[in-house]
Amino acid sequence: MAAPATKRRKLRHESEDGSALESEDTSMSRANPQEEQHAMSKAAPHKPHRTRPELPLQDGVYTAEVYKSNMFKLQVDELLEQVKFKYGKKVVPLENAMRTLKTLIEQFPNREPLPISEAEKLLRSQGVTVPFPSPRPPKDAKYRLEYAKPASINVTGSYALKVATRTEDVCSVDMVVVMPKSIFQEKDYLNYRYLYKRAYYLACVAAGLKNSSGSKFKLSFDCLNGSSLQPILIVDPSGDGGADDFSGSKCQVRILLAIPEGTFAEAKVRPTSNCIRPQDQSEGNATKALPPTPFYNATLQSDATMMPYLKLLHSASSKCDAFKDACVLGRIWLKQRGFGTRVRKGGFGNFEWAALMAILLHSKTGVGASPLSPGYSSYQLFKATLQFLAQHNLTKTPYVFQAGDVTIPKSTFAPILYDGPRNINLLYKMTQWSYTQLQAEAKASISTLGDSLADHFESTFIVKTNLLTYHYDAILRIPMASLELETESDSYEEAVLEKCRLLHSTIARALTDRITSLALLTPEEEPWKVGSAKPREDQRKSLFITIGTDPAFATRNIDLGPAAEDKQEAASFRKFWGEKAELRRFKDGSILESVVWTQKDASTSVLEQILRFVLSRHIGAGVAEMADFAYDTCSSLVHHGRIQGQSGVFPFTSRMNAFSSLEKDIRDFEGLPLQIRHIRAADPQLRYSSVDPESMKEPAALILQFEGSARWPDDLCAIQRTKVAFLLKITDLLAEEKPNYVARVGLENQSYPSQNQAYLDIILPTGFSFRLRIHHDREATLLERQLKDKSLDSQSREAAASGLAIYKRDFIQVPAHTQALQVLCTRFPALSPSIRLTKKWFATHLLLPHFSHELVELFVVNTFLQPHPWAIPSTATSGFTKTLLWLSRWDWRHTPLIVDFSTSVKQVAAEAEGPSSGTLSTEDIKTIQTRFEAWRRIDPGMNRVVLFAATNLDSDGTTWSDKGKPEKVMASRMTALARVATNALRRHEDKLLESLKGKELDEADTFRPGKLFSANVQDYDIVIRLSSKHTRSSKKKAEPKFKNLEMQQGPLAMEEKQNVGYNPAALLADDLRQIYGDAVIWFWNPDSVDVIAGLWNPVVTARRSWKVKPGWNSVPVSSQKKKEDEESGIDIELNKQAICNEIRRLGGDLILDIN
Amino acid sequence: MSSGKGQPTKKPKASPKAVSDFAILPLSLPTQSGLPADCANAKHYLYVKLHEPSHPDPNAERSLFLSNVPIDANETSIRALFTEQLGGSRVEQVDFDTAVPAIPNTKRYKADVVKGSNAQAGRKRKRDEEIVAEGVVEDEDSALPLIWPGELRTSGGCAVVVFVDRASCKGAWKEVRTAVKEGRDVKWEGGGVALGLQRYKQHHALTYPSKALLQSSINAYLSQFNRAETARNRLRLKQRSVPDEDGFVMVTRGGRSGPARLEEAEKKKVELEERRKKNGVKDDFYRFQTREKRKEAEMALKRNFEADRKKIEEMRARRGKVRVME
Repeated sequence: MAAPATKRRKLRHESEDGSALESEDTSMSRANPQEEQHAMSKAAPHKPHRTRPELPLQDGVYTAEVYKSNMFKLQVDELLEQVKFKYGKKVVPLENAMRTLKTLIEQFPNREPLPISEAEKLLRSQGVTVPFPSPRPPKDAKYRLEYAKPASINVTGSYALKVATRTEDVCSVDMVVVMPKSIFQEKDYLNYRYLYKRAYYLACVAAGLKNSSGSKFKLSFDCLNGSSLQPILIVDPSGDGGADDFSGSKCQVRILLAIPEGTFAEAKVRPTSNCIRPQDQSEGNATKALPPTPFYNATLQSDATMMPYLKLLHSASSKCDAFKDACVLGRIWLKQRGFGTRVRKGGFGNFEWAALMAILLHSKTGVGASPLSPGYSSYQLFKATLQFLAQHNLTKTPYVFQAGDVTIPKSTFAPILYDGPRNINLLYKMTQWSYTQLQAEAKASISTLGDSLADHFESTFIVKTNLLTYHYDAILRIPMASLELETESDSYEEAVLEKCRLLHSTIARALTDRITSLALLTPEEEPWKVGSAKPREDQRKSLFITIGTDPAFATRNIDLGPAAEDKQEAASFRKFWGEKAELRRFKDGSILESVVWTQKDASTSVLEQILRFVLSRHIGAGVAEMADFAYDTCSSLVHHGRIQGQSGVFPFTSRMNAFSSLEKDIRDFEGLPLQIRHIRAADPQLRYSSVDPESMKEPAALILQFEGSARWPDDLCAIQRTKVAFLLKITDLLAEEKPNYVARVGLENQSYPSQNQAYLDIILPTGFSFRLRIHHDREATLLERQLKDKSLDSQSREAAASGLAIYKRDFIQVPAHTQALQVLCTRFPALSPSIRLTKKWFATHLLLPHFSHELVELFVVNTFLQPHPWAIPSTATSGFTKTLLWLSRWDWRHTPLIVDFSTSVKQVAAEAEGPSSGTLSTEDIKTIQTRFEAWRRIDPGMNRVVLFAATNLDSDGTTWSDKGKPEKVMASRMTALARVATNALRRHEDKLLESLKGKELDEADTFRPGKLFSANVQDYDIVIRLSSKHTRSSKKKAEPKFKNLEMQQGPLAMEEKQNVGYNPAALLADDLRQIYGDAVIWFWNPDSVDVIAGLWNPVVTARRSWKVKPGWNSVPVSSQKKKEDEESGIDIELNKQAICNEIRRLGGDLILDIN
Repeated sequence: MSSGKGQPTKKPKASPKAVSDFAILPLSLPTQSGLPADCANAKHYLYVKLHEPSHPDPNAERSLFLSNVPIDANETSIRALFTEQLGGSRVEQVDFDTAVPAIPNTKRYKADVVKGSNAQAGRKRKRDEEIVAEGVVEDEDSALPLIWPGELRTSGGCAVVVFVDRASCKGAWKEVRTAVKEGRDVKWEGGGVALGLQRYKQHHALTYPSKALLQSSINAYLSQFNRAETARNRLRLKQRSVPDEDGFVMVTRGGRSGPARLEEAEKKKVELEERRKKNGVKDDFYRFQTREKRKEAEMALKRNFEADRKKIEEMRARRGKVRVME
């Protein structure tokens, strides 16, 4: 909808409303098509124009460009309001404390320069151990350590910038003590000398604070950003309730050390230089050959740039109004994704975010405009920064900002964002995997925010993303002890990092394209007391390797290597795989190195086999043995739950083949009076979503439509009889042409003569059975006519209305839905197993009879089509758990479920009939929303429509959930159960994370996915146990023995053929439902009915005064208090005993007992 | 719930004998295995009174009205109850208000409603000549074979028992009251309807009737249908020509150009609208039009904003302050 060319005048905005009319003419002169676009941007979103972004209007309309949408902006506002740190009364003690600290530190006397050992001894006598970084300073060092009054003391960091948030557990306030230049020498940048002096200085500050009478703070050492080179002092509140006791504010003060700018020559500490010289070499001749020490240099520089960065951020926030808000948004985004400044948290945290934005704001290099402009709104800043992260691959092409003539070479491991003026690689703490992860997250968020239909506020900011359960498909837990590192060694840190790199590269090489993401999760260090040395790392901790898999390749059982001729490559391949490597000749004649894995052993997946193999080959046998691998843990709960080969629909292949051969058979008939238009599948079994793909108990529904003809009678009931005649005709033809098929016409819906009356069951020799119904499109017209016919009585018109709804559902929506799901299931390999797992969950909790299959399928499909903030699930478990999470958070009272199949499936939409089949547009969504709101207004008690689920194929939203299916109780129960399950998963995850920190996992803590699938029947009022002789489950157990025979020989026993579709237990359940109506709510598992449980509906069956038709079996009771206007004074109660008795009579030999 | 369980076991002796015009007849139920202990002496309470329908019914004076009928009651079992245990009055027929599966409800024209409500109860009566809105009033030949071996009642349903004459009705009523007064042990025998596994086995078998049976039923139906269709056409013809009490002639289908008219009319309407749009005055011809349009768009944006703001407020009221998930 482009704005018409004639509209060349500026639109007035609300803020100008008062004077708007008068200023009509003046505004004409300021004609500006761009501004017009802004106001109209709802209609024309995503017009890139960054030159004159308009500031958000006060109380006005927020445009898509500036703030995505009104809703988004309002929610962002609310969020900012909520998370921002409150600088109120609570911070008074904190400010006092900082003042105290500052005065104290300023008063410390200078200390004379001392040799290292003496200095250390002196401080130890004052109760402080100098936190020297490793390697420890050499004994024979000639330089001396000294303390002099600090050059300045400043508050810096997020607290000072006023961008701190309350979401952190502890808010740390950074106090920078700038050490005087005088205590350093020019060459101190070499060989840790600066760092030793720095450590001594810090220890002096600690000793001073500890021994001064004016402070009672608790002191401990920590490492700045987890880098042991830079110890810092943590000041925790004293807790004595004094004026400077800031316990109330959940804060801690971190005392950081900095050096004045220019203490060391800039050129010496560039990322390209070497600052750690080997001890046994003379300096002069070796300099050139020495490798650069970027991390060490950057560490030095980070101390030197503390104040410059503070200045930079201040100038950025004064230059750009929205800078601070964007910082807060960035903080939340990073926190929800588990990124932090600490080395082991990825090395990209709040500071890096803010600094990056500031740099991008100042950046004018390169072509075109700078990535950020000061006029941006907070959302634009946020999004553009993400965009920057997503677009640039900083590992391959470093981003250099105002570096002048400095050239930065590519690094092998880490990304580079070189900040020239401050001479530091901003991302020096990042590892290869943390950077890929950051980039992936940024990309995901950018694509999410690009969706113009929904605002995705929740998935961007609210949902915690780095949850192991949802974020990764597989987790490998490696106990630190198994890595056998020497904790005592000086180079322990290095060794850990080295091991991590090795693990990463080995696994990445071994798993090739099976995985989409690979990251290491390492435990964090904790602060230690000032009186003791830095503790060794606890070897009970463990290391996590998190893996995201590609469902299409994860379970492939062969890995192809280089061709045999390529000697070099082949040798390296053989070296990597050892005895596993085989030379194989393939069908196309090529001879390739390859590795083959087995799929026979169902308990260990291919992934696990590979991992254990490469771990033991390249890392150590102990590691392979002690490692714990969890992958797709729930998939074993359904048949063929694990994806096999490239597709998730593999177990359905034979049924689908049977269907197409049957379709061909029927199409080939020559004796049919009408041409067949199409035969469409309309059954979960034919859309890869029935729980047990091998079950032959239930026929799969098909819909047959003939070409139009005028010879059909123009009457609903007569049409049904004509259908029967057609079915009989097909039966005859089948008997002639395919005598080994069993075909029989069955009857249904006898209570509703104008609905479909008959179907044809066809049982193929292979045992697959199908149920064919005939679709005649005239029915819809006739029903609609009845609906409008004023001469009919109201009852008849109601019947017509419900008949029409059923017609539309069964003959139009179900086939369309089936087709859409067929496409989706082949597209997403994990969809089919996820749906089946989710259905199984619904079934074991006895909920499935109350939810239509299609509805449950939509829940899961939604998880796949709207996976934000995570990737599209690639295992059954991940699809299932994410669906549960979504269910537990779905506020169905106020939000409809809207699924747009066409986001991935264009062709289905094109083929399907009806006008509402295309991709959903904003208007469509609005219409659906309006319809939903209308339903809620008509039916606020939600007696008829509880869940509302619309798709692009069906904008009604009630097709799958009309007439109280499910009822409100059921929907609430679903939510409650999903919450319980999600919490259980979360608890398990917390336990896992504790094991990362070194806590032992108990046997009781191990997570058994089966737990999620165990129903508790104690909650029900009445539990009917069925005799196992007649339930489905018992038969199933007997089956596998013959399965192979059956598949080979084909024919089912005659008796079994007779029993296709016969499920007495389900029939009983259905009878019960009809008999007791509202009074009792029945629960059962349609897949294997062994228990039917019931709840008395307390609203309907409560004790009440006597009535002729209460709708339930009653027992009369004399009423306690006799009311005067009621002559009888008799109440009735539910006659539970008689009900049990009559159910027993009804069920007869089916029932084992009733409780 | 637990209190509810405890009470009735003690109650039976003290249980009331009558409510409004109803006598309360306790029926003792057969003992069965596999039930909780307190169900052993369970009683079913049948409420009985003389039939006093709101619409006059010729059978009313020889009928009794039952409420809270057991779910497995049918004509045979009710008949047996009266003939064997309640004085031996002879029952002509029993009409139940509910059935599982439900009795098909044929669509009717408004005029038939009164007639229909009377006739509804008994499905055996022949109404061959009655004109229904669709299909035909089926008889034994034209109806599809039944797929359930018998009907069940919904819980707490009612029934009207029609006796052979007025005297037997009176006798039965008297007998019921004496039984209630004396606290006589009347047993509910049930019977007459297949239950349990048998019911479902039979149902499964009945679902697939023989081809011959189906074919003959269809043939019968279609010939009856042709007759009914003619009758319906006659009725429509009549309606077209006869003015109603207000002097209006009802427009019904089946006129000059047949049933396709509605669709055609709609198509024409769309066509006309399109033509009007094409030839009509353009919306942005005059300056005031563009101005108004802009004003309108602006107002809409403002409205949307207000709506969104309200939505956020509602959301906040619902789930409290926004919280970042931990």
